[in-house]
Amino acid sequence: MALQAAVKGKLISVIGDEDTCVGFLLGGIGEINKNRHPNFMVVDKNTPVSEIEDCFKRFTKRDDIDIILINQNIAELIRHVIDAHVAPVPSVLEIPSKDHPYDASKDSILRRAKGMFNPEDLSMFGAENYST
Amino acid sequence: MTLDKICSEETVNDLLDRLTLRQLHLMEEKMCRELNIESNINNGCFNLAKSRYIMGQAAVSKERLPTEASSEFSALTRCETIEEDGEMKLKIVENDTNTVNPMHWFGVLVPQNLHKAKNIFQNALNFIVECANIQIQIQENVKNIDVLKRYKVMLNP
Repeated sequence: MALQAAVKGKLISVIGDEDTCVGFLLGGIGEINKNRHPNFMVVDKNTPVSEIEDCFKRFTKRDDIDIILINQNIAELIRHVIDAHVAPVPSVLEIPSKDHPYDASKDSILRRAKGMFNPEDLSMFGAENYST
Repeated sequence: MTLDKICSEETVNDLLDRLTLRQLHLMEEKMCRELNIESNINNGCFNLAKSRYIMGQAAVSKERLPTEASSEFSALTRCETIEEDGEMKLKIVENDTNTVNPMHWFGVLVPQNLHKAKNIFQNALNFIVECANIQIQIQENVKNIDVLKRYKVMLNP
C-alpha cells in the first residue's frame, strides 16, 4: 500500500510491433503490476485481431493508464473500437512504425476534427457567401 | 434573462470563427508532432537494427522483454495530470520507486547503439506527451464547437 502511494503519475501503454515495443520499453515506460499485467502488447503478423481488440479494451478500462500508444497500421485493424473511444483519458495516440509512415487521413482524432468542415456545416459559418 | 439575450448571433458567429481557426492550428500542430515522432522512431529503429547486427538477432527482440511470469516492477517514465490555465495537461514524471534498468534485459555490456536508441525513444516520449495534450485540446474544441452550433440553431429556429 505504501509502495503504491509512493509511485506518482500514470502509465503510458503501448500496442505495437516488435521494434516499437522494444524501443519504448527501453525508454522506460514498461511496467508489470502486482497482478502481473503488463502495459504493453507486441503484435506480429500471427496475432489475431480479437486479441488486439481485447487488449485495447482492457487498457482503456484500466484507471492507471493515461496514454495508449498504438501503431497506425494496427489501429487500422481495430478502427471501429478506436472510433468508439471518445473519452479524453486515456488518450489514444496513433503513431507511425518503421514500415508504415504516418497518414493523417487515417487518424481517428483528425478525422473527427475534420468532420466539422463538411459543406453543410461550413454553410452555417456563412461559407455560401464566399462561394464563386 | 434568457441566454439569447446574453449572446447575440453575431457573438456566436465570432466565437465559432475563432474556434474553427484554433481547430485548424491544433490539427497542424498535431501533424507536426506526429512527424517528429516518426523521425524519432525511424532513428531509434535504425539504432536497434545496428545493435541487433552487433549482438545477434535474438539479443534485441521481444523474447528479452519481461513477461507475465516476471516479477513486479514500476515504470521509470510515467505521466502526471496537471491543470494549467484551466486546461487539463499531461506531463512526464520520472519515477524511482521499485524500478528496473531496461538496459539489463539485453545484457550488461550492450553496444553504444542501444544506448543511443534508448535516448532517442526517451526523446520521442516528450513529443508523444505534447501530441497527447494537443489531442485533448482538439477534443475539447470539437465539443465546444458542437455546443455553439446547437445554440446557433436554437437562436434561429
